[in-house]
Amino acid sequence: MKYQSQKIALAYFLVAMALFAVQVTMGLVLGWIYVDGNFLTEVLPFNVARMLHTNSLIVWLLLGFFGAAYYLIPEETEREIHSSKLAYLQLAIFVLGTAGVVVTYFFNLFEGNFLLGREGREFLEQPRWVKAGIVVAALIFLYNVSMTVLAGKKTAITNILLLGLWGLALLFLFAFVNPSNLALDKMYWWYVVHLWVEGTWELVMASILAFLMLKLTGVDREVVEKWLYVIAALALFSGILGTGHHYYWIGTPGYWQWIGSIFSSLEVVPFFAMMSFAFVMVWKGRRDHPNKAALLWSLGCATLAFFGAGVWGFLHTLHGVNYYSHGTQITAAHGHLAFYGAYVCLNLAIISYAMPHLKGRDPYNQVLNMASFWLMSGGVVFMTFTLTFAGTVQTHLQRVNGEAFMDVQDQLWVFYAMRFGSGVAVVLGALLFIYAILVPRREVVTPGPLEKGRLDHDADHVAAE
Amino acid sequence: MTVTRAWLALLLLSAASTGLAASGAHGAVFVVLVLSLAGAKAHVILSRYLGLSAAPPIRAGFDLALGVVLVLFAVLAIAA
Amino acid sequence: MTDQATDRPSALDQLPGELMMWVLIVSELLVFGAGLAAFLAVRITDPAGFAEAQGHLHRAGAGVNTIVLVTSGWLAALAVQAAEAGRPGRLRALVAGAIALGAVFLVLKGAEYADLAHAGITFETHAFFTFSYLLTGFHAAHVMAGMILLAVVAVPASPRAVETGAAFWHMVDLVWVLLFPVVYLL
Repeated sequence: MKYQSQKIALAYFLVAMALFAVQVTMGLVLGWIYVDGNFLTEVLPFNVARMLHTNSLIVWLLLGFFGAAYYLIPEETEREIHSSKLAYLQLAIFVLGTAGVVVTYFFNLFEGNFLLGREGREFLEQPRWVKAGIVVAALIFLYNVSMTVLAGKKTAITNILLLGLWGLALLFLFAFVNPSNLALDKMYWWYVVHLWVEGTWELVMASILAFLMLKLTGVDREVVEKWLYVIAALALFSGILGTGHHYYWIGTPGYWQWIGSIFSSLEVVPFFAMMSFAFVMVWKGRRDHPNKAALLWSLGCATLAFFGAGVWGFLHTLHGVNYYSHGTQITAAHGHLAFYGAYVCLNLAIISYAMPHLKGRDPYNQVLNMASFWLMSGGVVFMTFTLTFAGTVQTHLQRVNGEAFMDVQDQLWVFYAMRFGSGVAVVLGALLFIYAILVPRREVVTPGPLEKGRLDHDADHVAAE
Repeated sequence: MTVTRAWLALLLLSAASTGLAASGAHGAVFVVLVLSLAGAKAHVILSRYLGLSAAPPIRAGFDLALGVVLVLFAVLAIAA
Repeated sequence: MTDQATDRPSALDQLPGELMMWVLIVSELLVFGAGLAAFLAVRITDPAGFAEAQGHLHRAGAGVNTIVLVTSGWLAALAVQAAEAGRPGRLRALVAGAIALGAVFLVLKGAEYADLAHAGITFETHAFFTFSYLLTGFHAAHVMAGMILLAVVAVPASPRAVETGAAFWHMVDLVWVLLFPVVYLL
């Protein structure tokens, strides 16, 4: 760690990982509700649990992005963060807001109150005071990082990162628009969430990935930057009008079916470019970096994002297909693998990379960390397959044969049982990851004869510490 | 070929398209001819206006992709 | 690993002009290509309806517009040469000509839209019009953007900027020569 203010990232990553644990645990509860529909119905209604699952996901990913920004911006700009105090204040606001959201969702103390109450929405349900708090925190963040970048060295990585973060914060303002017309409400909601995950977040993802590739592979900055600009351009070109794939069936004019189908089909391209980028950089790289776990997460991120966001997205993005598959478990399959691959793995990659520096020790715990990658990724991939099969069966029974929703759900039980099993693997993997990052101080595996030989004879080879 | 000659070529190709359309022809031969003329125009624009004549391998890639797309168009148009 | 792998010139280095503009050009070609393919695929379901609907378009006007655009592209290409020769006066005159022809294109296009609107034809009238409005509308929006871009790059008049602006303009040309036969002639 070269700059003192990079330490801010530590606090962000810790809170992010705590929320990550909450998010996957809530996922497990939901997974069980699918198996036993009456589980906890009185205490924790399904819609509340689901909101907690999705909202805590978004919040911890955002906290991870903020932490990543606070970690990499000093290194890129070659100067300290403008104000550490503001950064901690921003985190405090987020923590307070998150607590407020949880309390409000659980106990619903201020029903109907303009400022304190729930809004009766599916995802943007945060009470207005929390939304306002998020905006204030975002403004503090943008001020803080922009001042740092303006005063320091400007690189492609900071440019694209800031573009993504500014866009992300400005788009959140649409969360305040809450028309009573449900279709309009959805239209604005997609301005927030679609333009996040298929626009501005992709810019954040590409720039963090570029930073990791730069550090882990030692490829020339010039090469990394060229890729980064191309990826950013492709993401915005396809992602913005790709929003149309949410406008097929909500009452918007019919031409959205064609705009959405064509542009969102191209959304595969930036994810393919990111995957190619990661592998080409590792292939061309001349640095044998000791942090193998961070590299594994980076490559896993690019690969699973391509499949989850790219391939699984394309599966049901054409409106002729979506007419049948809309809102079935196909969507859930895509949502899980896309968020996991693109954004969860990305955050875990930067955490795996940064934590040893932040805690001032070698990345001792790599074997456990890498085991958690395979356990978690295996779980999510298996979950994706079970939900894809469930969705395919559901589409046929419900949309083609016209059977009733709940009758179909009964028949999908076996898939939901298997999905619960994969959920257990994911939660165990997540806990193992957190343990591996925070606890061990000693390497758990000593090098075998093959690795020892390479260490002794190959001057370029570096041990996985 | 200078850009001016490229422009003249484009005018000639456009005149040919117009003449073909004005002749009232239709059917598979018409489809193939019209799309071939479009492909020729696209090739001239890529080579001369956009300067790909200086990079033959890249131009070959564009020509190939263009050819595939125009064949697809022709198949779809003739199927109608 | 040695440096050779990274230092070998790639095919991309041969690309004339700005890499990012080529990324845009290829992306636009993909979008319009997919749109035209979808148009032709839907046409199979109703050839007679498509032929009838096509009769409402200004076929001759669109033919003239082809001439207008390729001529405008020619002026833009000459403008790049003028910029490289260090003749800003000639460059600006040529760019002005290119922009003026862009305006002519839009006037002819506008006349067609006005007639269609007058006949009460909208996006929803027939699948043909959904596509023709979408494809030609997107294209016309690019013509407008291109006119603005050309005006912007003519101010600093650096060869690099003019070349990039002209490349966008040629892309608009390129899309039109593929769009015109599919929508208006087939």
